[in-house]
Amino acid sequence: MSKPLVIALSKGRILKETLPLLAAAGIEPTESLSESRKLLFDTTLDDVKLIVIRATDVPTYVQLGAADIGVAGKDVLLEHGAKGLYEPLDLNISRCRLMTAGVAGKQPGTSRRRVATKFVHTAKRYYASMGIQAEIIKLYGAMELAPLMDLADEIVDIVDTGNTLKANGMEPRELIADISTRLVVNKASMTMQHQRLKPLIKRMAQAVEARRERQEENA
Amino acid sequence: MTIADRWLLPDGIDEVLPPQALRMETLRRGLLDLYQRWGYELVVPPPAEFLDSLLTGVGSDLELQTFKLTDQLSGRMMGLSADATPQVARMDAHSLVRPGPSRLCYCVNALRATADQYQGGRNPLQVGIELFGHAGIEADLEIVRLALESLSYAGARDIHLAFGHIGIYRVLIEQAQLDEIAEQQLFEAIERKSYSEIDALLATVEMPSALRDVLQRLPRLHGGIEVLDEARATLADLPEEVEQQLAQLEQLAHCISNEYPGVSLYLDLTELRGYEYHTGVVFAAYVPGYGQALVKGGRYDHTGRAFGRSRPATGCSLELKMLASLEEQQPAHDGIWAPAVNDSQLAALVQQLRHQGERVVNALPHQSTGPVDHRCNRELVQEDGEWQVKELT
Repeated sequence: MSKPLVIALSKGRILKETLPLLAAAGIEPTESLSESRKLLFDTTLDDVKLIVIRATDVPTYVQLGAADIGVAGKDVLLEHGAKGLYEPLDLNISRCRLMTAGVAGKQPGTSRRRVATKFVHTAKRYYASMGIQAEIIKLYGAMELAPLMDLADEIVDIVDTGNTLKANGMEPRELIADISTRLVVNKASMTMQHQRLKPLIKRMAQAVEARRERQEENA
Repeated sequence: MTIADRWLLPDGIDEVLPPQALRMETLRRGLLDLYQRWGYELVVPPPAEFLDSLLTGVGSDLELQTFKLTDQLSGRMMGLSADATPQVARMDAHSLVRPGPSRLCYCVNALRATADQYQGGRNPLQVGIELFGHAGIEADLEIVRLALESLSYAGARDIHLAFGHIGIYRVLIEQAQLDEIAEQQLFEAIERKSYSEIDALLATVEMPSALRDVLQRLPRLHGGIEVLDEARATLADLPEEVEQQLAQLEQLAHCISNEYPGVSLYLDLTELRGYEYHTGVVFAAYVPGYGQALVKGGRYDHTGRAFGRSRPATGCSLELKMLASLEEQQPAHDGIWAPAVNDSQLAALVQQLRHQGERVVNALPHQSTGPVDHRCNRELVQEDGEWQVKELT
């Protein structure tokens, strides 16, 4: 095999939940990802390499063909635009919701709405689709602080349990999208390597299904 | 103004330096000669046209890509050509008006308002072929063959050819009669092969169950030539038109795999690239190491209607800068170095050598670089009053 298959994985929580699914498809890193400072890893398969990068970089790597496939949250894909990528598999992990939120009990006024978020494009598209003129303020973290300090009227952010919102006197408002982690594939790689990729995706899909069934049994 | 402001090029705009420029020019000539031998006549589309003619029936992608300016003579909006295809279609429909099939080729510097990292940034050098006036599969086949010839001429090895047929999805979605929003959502989900979203969407809309079944399975049908058999085996009650479209794909795939056994085939029954203007068979060619297609093409019947003549049309285009990067080798040291001596005999010999096709570089007095820096492997030296070509020592 001339060129190894490169899989781009998102750092952090998603990574931990992705590895068992990859293992089910016969791909395991030869060393512990969390204990190493390396970014490029060999796997039990000679012709498959893993790279571990920031979640927001995954669609870029896959889109430009530097990685053949990747694992990224739908929130990241929506924000990136992810044009020209395939999203053949919902890994059904790291599920959460992308929502608007504001200070509890305080209704947004009629004037131009100020929205703090790191999902700039997604927020812009969402408010436009709702017919609301919004001014987007890009922040990199601690969104909940923005309405409290009167930097913004609303925020757009990932809501998991809603505890952080509650602790800061805020409430979730509108649902923008249900989020889960997706397997993404570069279009050129799908064309040229479909004989390797299709079975790989199928085995991962089986692992996702088996995992879902186990969870249902436990519930 | 800092120094950087003076040399910095705009985003996505690039220049081509030696040796790449020569490589591109050689390719350009070679490809145009190739097209000439296949009966394609050269046209030169204008660099700017009125927007109305540039953007007729081509879809919103191209509209975004087009630089716009006001024509101060007529007060109308003009656009800089971002893609020569609609221009060549206009030339065929309005300027040439030929009775039979017409084969045209071109090579133009396009300018794009938005950059595409792989297709030459914002100033791609686009070379292409278009075949007007024949609706049959023979025309598509000819374009695919010539696209493959172009690629191998440029030095591409291990070519992967992807086929699709825009008509299949068009027929099915028309039957589904979805509302505009649902159709748009389904289109985007299929384009991304997001099976979970496709299934969820189809479950919420009203349609005959046989059609739902087809729309659910079709996006999963992609891969080698065997997907056509899979399609036949798993899709029941296909509309007559779709059966014919599958047969067209099959015929194309078989012809190409017989004629070009080294080319790997890939079929995707829901390929939707260029949905806004393509009408039939579409194809793209990939080679390893490139994350995007090197050739894109397909059928776009009736673009000429807006110019007064509706014609079947198919064609493809390539980006020369990307194509030239396929074989990046250092050019040979093959020149002859002529010393900076004012001698009529020497001048005559230099002239004669150049007529024979040799590359002769004249040295300038006191220059600090030597023959090797100018890719010379020989030099002119005077022995016994006679100028002779000698190997460099």
